[in-house]
Amino acid sequence: MKPKVVIAGGGAAGMAVALRLERLGVEPVIVEREERLGGKVRGWHKLFPTFTPAAEVLDPLVAQIGRRGIECRTGAAVEALSEHGVKLASGQTIEADAVVVATGFTLFDARRKEEYGYGIYDNVVTSADLERMMNEGAVRLADGSTPRRIALLHCVGSRDEKVCQRHCSKVCCITGVKQAIELKKMFPEADVFNFYMDIRMFGAGYEELYREAQQSYNIHFVRGRISEASPMINGRIQIKAEDTLTGRPLRMSIDMLVLLAGMRANDDNAALAASAGLALAPNGFMQSADPFLGAVRSPRRGIFYAGAVTAPKSLADTLAEASLTADAVMDYLNSVQR
Amino acid sequence: MTFFAPFTIPFIIGGAIMAAVLLAKYTLWAVRLPREDKRLIRRNILSFKSLAALWEVVRESLLHVRIFRVNPVLGYMHSSLALGWLLLIAVGWIETVAYLGLRWVPLQGHVFFKYFMPVNGITQHKAGFELAMDLLLAVVLSGVALAWIKRMRSRIMGLRRTTKHVLFDRIALSALWFVFPLRYLAESVTCAIYGGGSFLTGSTGSLLASHLDAETLAAVYEPLWWCYSIALGIFFSTMPFSRYMHIFTEIPLIFLRRYRLAPGIEPKSYDHFEVEACSRCGICIDPCQLQSVLGIDEVQSVYFLRDRRYNMLQLSVANNCLMCGRCQTKCPVGINLNTLRLNSRSRMRNIPNEGRFNYLSGIDRSSGEGRTGYFAGCMTMLTPRTLSAMDTIFRAAGDDIWHADRDGGVCCGRPLMLSGETTAARKMIEYNTDLFRRHGITRLVTSCPICLRVFREEYALDGIEVMHHSEYIRMMIAEGRLQMRRTDMRYTYHDPCELGRGCGIYDQPREVIAAVGELVEPAHNRRDALCCGASLANTVIDDSQQMRIAREMTGELEATGAGTIVTSCPLCYKTIKRAAGTETKDISEVVAENIFQP
Amino acid sequence: MSGLRFGYGINRPRAIDIDSNDLRKSNEILREMPELQTCIGCGSCTASCTAGNLTEFNFRRVHTLVRRGEYRSAYEEMNKCMLCGKCRLVCPRGINTRGVAMLIKRKLGDF
Repeated sequence: MKPKVVIAGGGAAGMAVALRLERLGVEPVIVEREERLGGKVRGWHKLFPTFTPAAEVLDPLVAQIGRRGIECRTGAAVEALSEHGVKLASGQTIEADAVVVATGFTLFDARRKEEYGYGIYDNVVTSADLERMMNEGAVRLADGSTPRRIALLHCVGSRDEKVCQRHCSKVCCITGVKQAIELKKMFPEADVFNFYMDIRMFGAGYEELYREAQQSYNIHFVRGRISEASPMINGRIQIKAEDTLTGRPLRMSIDMLVLLAGMRANDDNAALAASAGLALAPNGFMQSADPFLGAVRSPRRGIFYAGAVTAPKSLADTLAEASLTADAVMDYLNSVQR
Repeated sequence: MTFFAPFTIPFIIGGAIMAAVLLAKYTLWAVRLPREDKRLIRRNILSFKSLAALWEVVRESLLHVRIFRVNPVLGYMHSSLALGWLLLIAVGWIETVAYLGLRWVPLQGHVFFKYFMPVNGITQHKAGFELAMDLLLAVVLSGVALAWIKRMRSRIMGLRRTTKHVLFDRIALSALWFVFPLRYLAESVTCAIYGGGSFLTGSTGSLLASHLDAETLAAVYEPLWWCYSIALGIFFSTMPFSRYMHIFTEIPLIFLRRYRLAPGIEPKSYDHFEVEACSRCGICIDPCQLQSVLGIDEVQSVYFLRDRRYNMLQLSVANNCLMCGRCQTKCPVGINLNTLRLNSRSRMRNIPNEGRFNYLSGIDRSSGEGRTGYFAGCMTMLTPRTLSAMDTIFRAAGDDIWHADRDGGVCCGRPLMLSGETTAARKMIEYNTDLFRRHGITRLVTSCPICLRVFREEYALDGIEVMHHSEYIRMMIAEGRLQMRRTDMRYTYHDPCELGRGCGIYDQPREVIAAVGELVEPAHNRRDALCCGASLANTVIDDSQQMRIAREMTGELEATGAGTIVTSCPLCYKTIKRAAGTETKDISEVVAENIFQP
Repeated sequence: MSGLRFGYGINRPRAIDIDSNDLRKSNEILREMPELQTCIGCGSCTASCTAGNLTEFNFRRVHTLVRRGEYRSAYEEMNKCMLCGKCRLVCPRGINTRGVAMLIKRKLGDF
């Protein structure tokens, strides 16, 4: 009989782990809270730094899951877990020989940074909203017109004690550069400004894209955090920041403000961790057994991690990590069988 | 009868020192009172205010009614000592008169009457006097016993913490502890030798007489009276330099307060009466959230007053206070703790740099036209939900608004004042007053209780009705200009310190909330409400400490089970939003969402 | 040529010379308030500043210069602050900015 592994979370990480495990002779079961597989990537339009449509990555994964006949329990949330299986919110339990936690992250709720006016004024959107609009085919202002001046603000819900988010969400910098280019492509006449504190271009091709944004797309980069956004009588938004490189306050009116919302640890991480005796990192993400040799292992044998449940990660990193997780699961299954 | 014995010398010296120092202190303080204060005294001294003050002296200095209310055991301790001792002196005096008729007897003759006249005198009412004196001594001794217990095990007295004392206090305290037990022993031994006394000294005397021979009794007799006199002498001579100064100082304080004297934002002579009226009872320690949540000691009002009195006040102590005012509501002496702290800061920090705000001249960033002015406040600029809710409310009420600071105004001045920079704050006050006058408004609405307080207390805005937005909304509802839609929402309300204890506004916000939904109260509310921790008055504690105070406070709000936490201060709002998991709204938002439009 | 001034004092070097700057005061300030060292220079304080909205006053610049041992006119500059506290509300590092303003004035002022 094949060993059975429950994977909590049917996003990119969960699916990639499931596919890999299936090839290695394991019977994976995916438990996904949403009605469909795909996780956060499903709402994304194009991926950095190559502008690859998200569907080109996601669709093959979903299709293969179907082709391979991997069991998926969608619309089912994991409430508690142990190395012997998971308990669903419905009360049902699924027994297994190992468990992989791939429940990902929660998008920071930009309404918590009230001073930016998200949810209060028109035309203040998040990076996720922008992707959705692009997926829907058109980026427009609330009145249907096209924006002439757009600002993207980095670090919304990242590196911010005031919203209890000390960590860097890692992917927003490059997302901001990517979206700035996309906006500029859509609206060549528009001025696009990125307000940043530090530009962290850690991945392959990122720095190059940053340079391209500056050189080929004439995207302006202003070093300073926007402190307030307020509505103007003409419907535009006035933003205030310090242009820290000149040391002077800066104010400007814009048509659209894009907030690059960060990655937050899931609220139910604590409950999951408590149910299985796992540990949380200070930022609320799951704590791995070891940052170097045990990044995909939990402190508890038989429970493994994949993807952004342990820390903010890019899609590329998540997919690469999935193989490591599958590998660690196999090692474990082999050791307990013997 | 000369009524003199060598052992009375310590008492006489102690008494003389006390009288001289007290006289010198009170005279000096009174002479140095500002002209304004002296005028108030002259105007009020021959009025009913003096009678009222006299009655208050009886209630507070003797009976300690207010302490009784806060803590009955502590109240008994204070009144047994104060009233008991006074009655001991009074009854003792009557006793002397009863024995000797109305003739002059030196002070020590009254105090050590038992020594000088152990058996003499008339027999009429003797048993009654002996009983009364023993009863009073027993009451005082019970007070002393409680004082012992309070020192050793404060929790029994319902206090989590008691005050840590300075050297003078310790000497005076030790002397006081021994005064009455020594008197009890000396009188008992006297009774053992000469007879007399009642259930206390009398029975102890016979007990001693039956167990000790006459020689031993005679040998300890004089030394015991010496010890008693020395204890009294030490207590009296240290008393004006210790916390026991409060015993007498509270009396002139009560009178002066009745004459409407009060401390101001600049230190003045009157402050001495308040500072030295502090008995260091320590009641102010427990309500302090810096203590209860953060475990910070030595900064609470009792320590602040102590340090200020002995001229050893550190800026780090003066600044480490939320000025939430919780201790002030509990202070049994009714000392203006916040104002005194404020003027201490002023003396330590005031920067006489006249030109520093010259840049304000000629600036006018206001907009709009209307008889009602809206001063949102600096912090409100960071809570745009409140701003847009206020816009909705003003529109619905049909009020034309002149916006004082929509495009960034000048600070109200209270933050500078809270940090002791009072002359600098004056510049802001002058600027804003001039701005309000120039635009001819008749009503000024602000969303920030910090601004509201300084507008009311320090601005001269005659002819302009100054109100907080919760007051404005309530008025508009009462006038029928705003109609509310009732929902089945459950709200809880957090009283901001500056609005509640600061400006006495408790009911208006509650009435507004009650017009929209159900209001459930947290464990501490109104005068007793907790501070959110982010108070501008404290520049010492850091972000994480602020958040610990905030979480403790929001814990209580969330325990009410209400679906929404409501407050009416941008600073509290921001802090609660950060600390609480429950939805949080400014009162204006709750109103704006539920305006009924037919 | 000694009368020539280019907007600054005649002998004022252009570079921040950490070698010759006296960092004693700066270290004292950082010892009393180590959190100031966590500033990431985002400029939120300056952007939201009530005083900075009305005059040339840059809180971030002043405290950064002070940290480098450049005390010149820091006291006078800091005196433009109204202590309104907006900066403390927006600081992403949770720095006690009002405390910083008062500390710098206390350490560098003439009182």
